[in-house]
Amino acid sequence: MRVRVFFATDVHGSEVCWRKFINSAKFYEADVLILGGDMTGKAIVPLIETAPERWTYEMQDISHDVAGTEELAQAERAIRDHGYYPVPMTRDEVHEYSAHPERLAELFKREMRSTIERWVAFADERLANTGVQCIVCPGNDDAHDIDEILASSKTIMVGEGNVIDLPGGYQLASSGWTNPTPWDTPREEEETALKRRIQAVVAQATAAPERLILGLHAPPYDTALDVAPKIDWETLTIQGQDTAHVGSTAVREVIEEVQPVLSLHGHIHESRAAVRIGRTLALNPGSSYVEGALAGCVIELEGKDKVKKYRFTSG
Amino acid sequence: MEASAGSVQPVERTLFARKASGLIKGWSPIDGFRYSFFSVNLYLAIWSFAYATFIPRGSLFWSIVLTFPFIVLEIIVYAALISAMPRAGGDYVWMTRIFNSPIGFVLAAGGWWFILWQWTPIYADMAVETTIKPIFRILGFNSAAHWLTTPNGVFISSLVVIAIASILVAIGMKAYAQFQKWAMWIGLAGVLVAGILLLVTSGPSFKAKYNEAAVKYYGAHGLLDLTKYQTDASGVFKYDSSGALIPAKNPDGSVQKYANAYEATVAIGKGTAQPASPFTGGLSWATWTLIPFMLFWMAWPNWGATLYGEVRGAKDFRKNIWQMLGGLTVPTVIALAALALLAWRFGYQAFMGTMSAYWWKISPFGGDYISPTAMISWAVNNAAVQIILIASISLLLFGWFGTLFLSSTRMIFAAAFDRILPESAAKVSANGVPWVALLLMAIPSAVCAALYAYTPVSSQYGVTWFKLFTYDATLVIIAMFLGTGLAFMVMPWRARNIWNSSAIPKWKIGPVPVMSIIAAGFAAFLTFNLVLYLKDAIYGVNNGKSLIFMGVLYLLAIVIWVVAWVVRKREGMSLETVAKEIPVE
Repeated sequence: MRVRVFFATDVHGSEVCWRKFINSAKFYEADVLILGGDMTGKAIVPLIETAPERWTYEMQDISHDVAGTEELAQAERAIRDHGYYPVPMTRDEVHEYSAHPERLAELFKREMRSTIERWVAFADERLANTGVQCIVCPGNDDAHDIDEILASSKTIMVGEGNVIDLPGGYQLASSGWTNPTPWDTPREEEETALKRRIQAVVAQATAAPERLILGLHAPPYDTALDVAPKIDWETLTIQGQDTAHVGSTAVREVIEEVQPVLSLHGHIHESRAAVRIGRTLALNPGSSYVEGALAGCVIELEGKDKVKKYRFTSG
Repeated sequence: MEASAGSVQPVERTLFARKASGLIKGWSPIDGFRYSFFSVNLYLAIWSFAYATFIPRGSLFWSIVLTFPFIVLEIIVYAALISAMPRAGGDYVWMTRIFNSPIGFVLAAGGWWFILWQWTPIYADMAVETTIKPIFRILGFNSAAHWLTTPNGVFISSLVVIAIASILVAIGMKAYAQFQKWAMWIGLAGVLVAGILLLVTSGPSFKAKYNEAAVKYYGAHGLLDLTKYQTDASGVFKYDSSGALIPAKNPDGSVQKYANAYEATVAIGKGTAQPASPFTGGLSWATWTLIPFMLFWMAWPNWGATLYGEVRGAKDFRKNIWQMLGGLTVPTVIALAALALLAWRFGYQAFMGTMSAYWWKISPFGGDYISPTAMISWAVNNAAVQIILIASISLLLFGWFGTLFLSSTRMIFAAAFDRILPESAAKVSANGVPWVALLLMAIPSAVCAALYAYTPVSSQYGVTWFKLFTYDATLVIIAMFLGTGLAFMVMPWRARNIWNSSAIPKWKIGPVPVMSIIAAGFAAFLTFNLVLYLKDAIYGVNNGKSLIFMGVLYLLAIVIWVVAWVVRKREGMSLETVAKEIPVE
């Protein structure tokens, strides 16, 4: 039995990328959709009220003036498509959120939850009765409380910490946790703890390695999948053209030990690449969410010891 | 979750950012400038000036000035595309996404992959003629200098270039960037010293030093040929029925000689109808026809476009522009200043004479090309200083060698990810060396080097026929740029979502985005050049062999795409969907 999988990752709050991800099942004729994590946005764009029915906001260093509810809706959609959360507010509220990080954090939480709820509704509407299996595993940037919203879906299965049966006797073992980043994100931990976590998930699998797929947000260390601009952890600035391998040694070790047929990764947007680690095909399709383009990979599972057919896509 | 303000104004926040992995890659301004500066390479300028001797009625100075604003259009187009779709693979990615897979692949494979094979022997030739041979002459290694001009010498030096380019790619971006940094500053210091030498050395003194060096490095070894040739009343050489120059003879039958090398060089300038001033020709049609030659060095400030990763907003769009504009402006100003200074101190006709002498094979210097860097170094009467000056400036050329293959590997990777090329084309060794992509560059480059070295010599131009169509190397890339320019022109309609998501300024004139108008202007400029290349024999590319060579390259690209399409179709994959946009609603 041939199983076609479409894998994408790191949509980072981009509304347009989520919609494309859900629609990709039909577009690529995929049997299984897998989203590899980092669903939530990184920023809130305040639409500052300047007068009744008038707002102003800045995005990508460009100022925009908005007049009327129709234009407001358009602006909100443009901001959401870009992966940010649009929030109309007064100047006083802007100052208040600036002065009170805890209130800002609460606002982020609300926006992320409401966005995920809307996304789940869209997925349930589109994927119902299609026979398409959709698995979403939050990544290191995603707050923990989005898991329960995803779990409330009728069509989405939550990958985190689970082994999920796929067609053709394949199984997917997932975790969105990563090794430490300079940003101290919600799902990251030291390599030893990460290895234990991944091993615990993999231990649940009953499929043989040639039917096992790992969905691990962090890419394996020292591969073409984990090359990122070198960053000063203190100042969070990029160090010229220098690059560094920033993947996980735990992920690499588990892949080397278990030798699953396929290993799906994300996290490092610019490291769109495929490598072989022994028998395992490890893929990172990268991310172009800022452009509104869904970077992904279509993989054909044919029941063989090695995955040979795959292609990166840019939809 | 902790939230903090990021990218914010001090008084009023325009964005609230939380702690999230922000893997944002932006080139530092100096990195981007350096890459562009190297790309608009001063050695390519020197080489294109030599080609300009074929259109002596045009003004070299004004052709550079005329080309500049059109390259600014190119910079705007590429800065916008980098900002909107910052992907490794550059032109390939943009054309495949905006047009389709076959158009994108064929044009980009031609421009970023295949034709760069031809650049290898061109780089080797430039390195030998401008740097290695002058240094060898100073050292008295005349046999070695001579050997470098033999077919074996040309071929082996090309293999050395392949080795250097491969090593620079293999050591990785970090080490290469470090090397480039030092190369640029040392090279620029050399240029500064050369400029000071031109300023402080009087014209007569400069000419006298030229003559001294001619005697010391060539005359002393029996290499100086000061034969005088017959000219018409205006000083232009006469030729016999076989096309050869006619030596001027004394009544006793002996051959007349010029008094010194400078006098011979001026006579060659006059004899080949070179103008007396870089401004001669003004804005005439002949000057416009020099522009295709100028593209050989001025068209490349966008060379880093295949390497960009994620960038941020409009500030990065503007930053991209400033980086590339700086990379274009600085070498352009240096080139114009060098022309002015050389015209002032050495005489423009004599300067052009040094180059036409090389092409017309009437060089008094044993057939050598007299590089401006060597000529200026001779103003110092010290061999060690001369060598140091020539070598230091040459770092502007050697620092650029790695990019010969670096950008190509990115395009090969992108095509491999799209499965047009096999997976193995993107294979990287344990220490990060893209050795398959390197082989895909290095092996065909060696074949091109062999063609450059061993094909028969054109009786008309005195160079091998493969060397004759050096400008194929520019033409094919310009054709790719044209595809990219047209893709950007229609981007607001064909890639509406990406256009809308981008930070590109959306100004309009009527219903048409200003950016599309800029792209149209850029495309029209490139079309003008392509028409000239293909219409006029002076550029050496519209002959049968050249057209076959280019045709074979494009045919190869078409064959690869078709084979990939068939193979993937059999595998149940459709190449067409790779870059097609997924419906949103």
